[in-house]
Amino acid sequence: MRLPEGIDAISRRRFLSLLAASMALTAGSSCSRIDRGKIVPYTRKPARGIPGVSAFYASTFQEGLAIQGVLVRTREGRPIHLEGNPEHADSRGMLSLRATGDLLGLYDPDRLGLPVHKGVRSNWQDATKALNNVLSDARLMDKRVLLLTGASASPSLKALLYDLRLALPGLRHVAWEPAAPVAQLAAARALFGKPMISRPDLRRADVILSFQSDFLGVEPDAPVLINDFASRRGVSTPTDPMNRLWVVEGHMTLTGANADERIQARPSRMTSLAFALARLLHREHSLPLPAGLDPAELDYFDLDRVSAASSVKASTMRLLARDLVRAGQSGVVLAGAPLPMEAHAACHLLNFMLGSEKHIMDRAQPFDLAGNVELKEILEQAARGEFAVGIFWGANPAYAFPDPALWKRAINGIPETFRIGLYEDETALDCAWRLPEHHWLESWGDFESPGFIGIRQPVSGPLHNTRQAEDLLLACLRGMRIQTQSTYLEYLKARWRSGVYVPGMPVPFESFWNSALHDGGVRRDSAQQASLQLNPEPLRKALESVRAEADSGGLELVLAPAAGVHDGRYSNNGWLNELPDPVTKATWSNPLLISPADAERLGLKDEDVVTVSSGTATVDAPVLVQPGQASGVAGIALGYGRRTGNVALAIGANAYQLLKGLTGDSFVIRSARISRSNSRSAIPRTQDHHRMEGRDLARSWALAEYAKTVDGGKTHHAHTASLIPEQKFPGQKWGMAVDLSKCVGCSSCVIGCQSENNIPVVGPERVLMGREMHWIRIDRYYEGDQQSPSVRHQPMFCQQCDDAPCEIVCPVNATTHSPDGLNQMTYNRCVGTRYCSNNCPFKVRRFNFFDYTSTKKEPETLVFNPEVTVRPRGVMEKCTFCIQRIQDAKQNAKHEARQVRDGEITPACVAACPSGAIVFGDLNDPESAVSKVSKLDRHYRLLEELGIKPSVTYLADIANPVAAEDKA
Amino acid sequence: MRFKWEVSRNFLQYSKFILPVGLVAVLATVLGVGWYTQPDRFVRGYEPVQPIPYSHALHPGTLRIPCQYCHSGAAGSRYAGIPAVEKCMNCHSVTRTDSPEIRKLAALYESGEPLQWERIHSLPDHAYFDHRPHVNAGILCQTCHGEVQTMDVVYQNMSMRMSNCLGCHRDPEYALQAGSTIVKGPEHCYACHR
Repeated sequence: MRLPEGIDAISRRRFLSLLAASMALTAGSSCSRIDRGKIVPYTRKPARGIPGVSAFYASTFQEGLAIQGVLVRTREGRPIHLEGNPEHADSRGMLSLRATGDLLGLYDPDRLGLPVHKGVRSNWQDATKALNNVLSDARLMDKRVLLLTGASASPSLKALLYDLRLALPGLRHVAWEPAAPVAQLAAARALFGKPMISRPDLRRADVILSFQSDFLGVEPDAPVLINDFASRRGVSTPTDPMNRLWVVEGHMTLTGANADERIQARPSRMTSLAFALARLLHREHSLPLPAGLDPAELDYFDLDRVSAASSVKASTMRLLARDLVRAGQSGVVLAGAPLPMEAHAACHLLNFMLGSEKHIMDRAQPFDLAGNVELKEILEQAARGEFAVGIFWGANPAYAFPDPALWKRAINGIPETFRIGLYEDETALDCAWRLPEHHWLESWGDFESPGFIGIRQPVSGPLHNTRQAEDLLLACLRGMRIQTQSTYLEYLKARWRSGVYVPGMPVPFESFWNSALHDGGVRRDSAQQASLQLNPEPLRKALESVRAEADSGGLELVLAPAAGVHDGRYSNNGWLNELPDPVTKATWSNPLLISPADAERLGLKDEDVVTVSSGTATVDAPVLVQPGQASGVAGIALGYGRRTGNVALAIGANAYQLLKGLTGDSFVIRSARISRSNSRSAIPRTQDHHRMEGRDLARSWALAEYAKTVDGGKTHHAHTASLIPEQKFPGQKWGMAVDLSKCVGCSSCVIGCQSENNIPVVGPERVLMGREMHWIRIDRYYEGDQQSPSVRHQPMFCQQCDDAPCEIVCPVNATTHSPDGLNQMTYNRCVGTRYCSNNCPFKVRRFNFFDYTSTKKEPETLVFNPEVTVRPRGVMEKCTFCIQRIQDAKQNAKHEARQVRDGEITPACVAACPSGAIVFGDLNDPESAVSKVSKLDRHYRLLEELGIKPSVTYLADIANPVAAEDKA
Repeated sequence: MRFKWEVSRNFLQYSKFILPVGLVAVLATVLGVGWYTQPDRFVRGYEPVQPIPYSHALHPGTLRIPCQYCHSGAAGSRYAGIPAVEKCMNCHSVTRTDSPEIRKLAALYESGEPLQWERIHSLPDHAYFDHRPHVNAGILCQTCHGEVQTMDVVYQNMSMRMSNCLGCHRDPEYALQAGSTIVKGPEHCYACHR
């Protein structure tokens, strides 16, 4: 190759000298003053708030049938962390992990940022004009309009929809949720005349019987139910009253994992088991049947017949019946969301017989919710061209409706279609107009719960060019020349002024409103519920239909929403995708869970891909052999297999499709088939080994055993001699106690920690390599045989050992000990040798193998907590006991010239834990809660024999199974 | 084989003179550049031109306006804070309204356009300095920020390296008010790093 003219004239020497000179110049110029950026103060400072100090706002979270009060921590106007609002009378400060995790959804870069028309960017003027035109047209020409939304318990939204219906007589509003317990609502509607969700008061329950109910896991009110349940688990002496949880289930749920007595049964047998139990209670324990129900009608459900058909031992059923009778009004029976209406009816019957119905029906929240059956009818109408306009707000039928072909026909049959939603999702792609709405953290609203009306208020200005959907509807009303408020906030306030505020209150409305905003809502005396009358007719029908039903003998498949991504609404959320499932520990996937016996029979092992089919629908999924799964029962999570979203795309399989042939609103498929394919697909799991191999890590004793032992019956290792000089902690010494008896393994703490501590998401490939970054993991162990193991959960995080093995091996002193007993990790010193992690007996240190965060751009970076360093590549990290919160509390105390009060510091995991299992505080203060809890006689420390002196104390799990002599 | 031999013979020749001289040159360059670019040299005395020539010599100096009148966050927040333009206008809506710089300020205030000051003091992201305990312990602002009340244009007085922090935390007496009970500041990592 010939060089261009002049190049060859440069000699090597000259080239080098030029190179050197240019380098010197570069170095010289970069030595000039470092650019430190600008400081931009407010022009006009907001009335409240000091830069650098967190401000908290109360708001309300809603997801399907769940309503929870939240406290949003904001810094300089942006929300950075969510916790429960204790002022909320119904949720009492308990918050679902998905609410905490949905903070990431606010900053999701995939959110639709402006109106789009047929794939082309548009603007709000055109969008609202188009919406107004078609609605005005529909009003004048008396055309039918379909408005599809998700569930809502907002009185103001209900009023707004009522106004809209008055203006548009052709409006058909359908509230639809793809994975909500519609059968439960339907059962209540049939039995009591109003659709409601039964929420038992588990604080009063001595015996809890669950038929496939995952009330500690994925059911709507789980956080409060976990709290109620755990309130009767943390015994401090063997004589403390403790509840007993019986679980009858097919596929292993988190609730089943926490059961004292777990009975495996096929879901199709649940209803007859419940009726058999009712018959048993009536015949052998003479509990009265409700009026109008003839005992003879139950005769079909003879114990022997039912137990033969369900392989549940008759003796076990008798034991259960005796236990329930002993509990009487304090016995509670729950039916799971996946079960059909008949099972819910049967459980209502049992509660009526026990007399616990009156406190189980605390939650008189009527929801008018359509299931797939009702939506199918509506979509068929749409396919016939009966609707002129379709507005799809929130719910995502294009993804979650089981029959995609029908959906296609329906959407093609509607001439004018509008999508109001956060994303350009499956439904949006099928609609002509895509209108972006506010995230709930940017919106106004109100939500009615028993005893409380919660307010939702925006905690951040809109990040994108979005609008609140209610504002759009108000604009439509105005477009139809109907006098109404100009914004939804005005509408809300007007409704509160007339509906919630009582004239003659000692405070003016504005103060009342402001204090409601401050508290997150107002308390209301829950109207004393008239005692419910059980209508025996639907029960009779249920009895008949169960009698008529034949066991297909096929594989039964249970579909349940995923713990993280739920029904698919959080599929684009990295935190919730990477959250290990509390039972399987699988992330980023929805494997098909099958029993060990079935796996052996079919010759399947973990990660073999199978095709699951039900009717004509098929889904491919890898297999996961789930210990404790009843044989002949498979399970798969809903919410995966999305077709849009940069994170959600192509993760797992869309199990909704399997519901296609179902005629009722249950989530149990009675005759599914699985056929193996030759491929394999890796399941990213955070735990590979599931047994303790004889070591006493997560200790668990039966209550009877606990009663007989002294000092927990376990020897504590005397402190052995150590080469490390003894550490002294003159002031405070921070410590934690984890009550394994209260902990149900729900994993809320994992998400709370992730949000608080800027923990990155690594993705499925890295999880497969064991490089997940969670500072808390919940170890889950199986004990006993594969087919019916007992399950233990153990939250595991840095134990802040006094004689920490990690510290002595660090060559650069990046991990050292603080005078208040913390094992400090100094990121800026760390050079990434990973010696510390190798020497850590708990394996709780996490290494940044890659730079997970610096490529992120706004709005993603806004989610970071400014009080915690964002770690770069090559740096080790681990739990700090939320040092930022400790420091803040210490500074506040110093400022107010006092000591830090016990309970003042709540690390994120403690705040997120719905069961109250984690206690944090000063171990040097004998009066602190953590000191007291750490001295309970079921306390122990992990790997004490190593002489590392952990600062974390575990309290052994106490199980409450039926005593052996009762069994005999 | 022959080629290799020649190379190593050349190398021996080089090693007599060029190698030692080269090594010394490299060492001298490294040390020289290191010495010349030591942080104190560039950090101290940093005195950028600000968008509004606000004089600390006049306001806290001559007029004796307390520091925390404007930097009001210092006692209650990690950040001392830069006052909102509004705060300047508290006085300047009536005082010196004819000055061109004040007119500039008033125009910013009216338009709501942000006023972008040049940042002078800047700590690395992994250092979580908190003004609260220091101000509340009675340490004067001047201890770290220098005699700001005499500066027409504010410059950085202290290099604000970790040695400055630790020096004072180990022996804080000179910075404290007489009679203070404080003997030491914390020296462990988590005191400032998280």
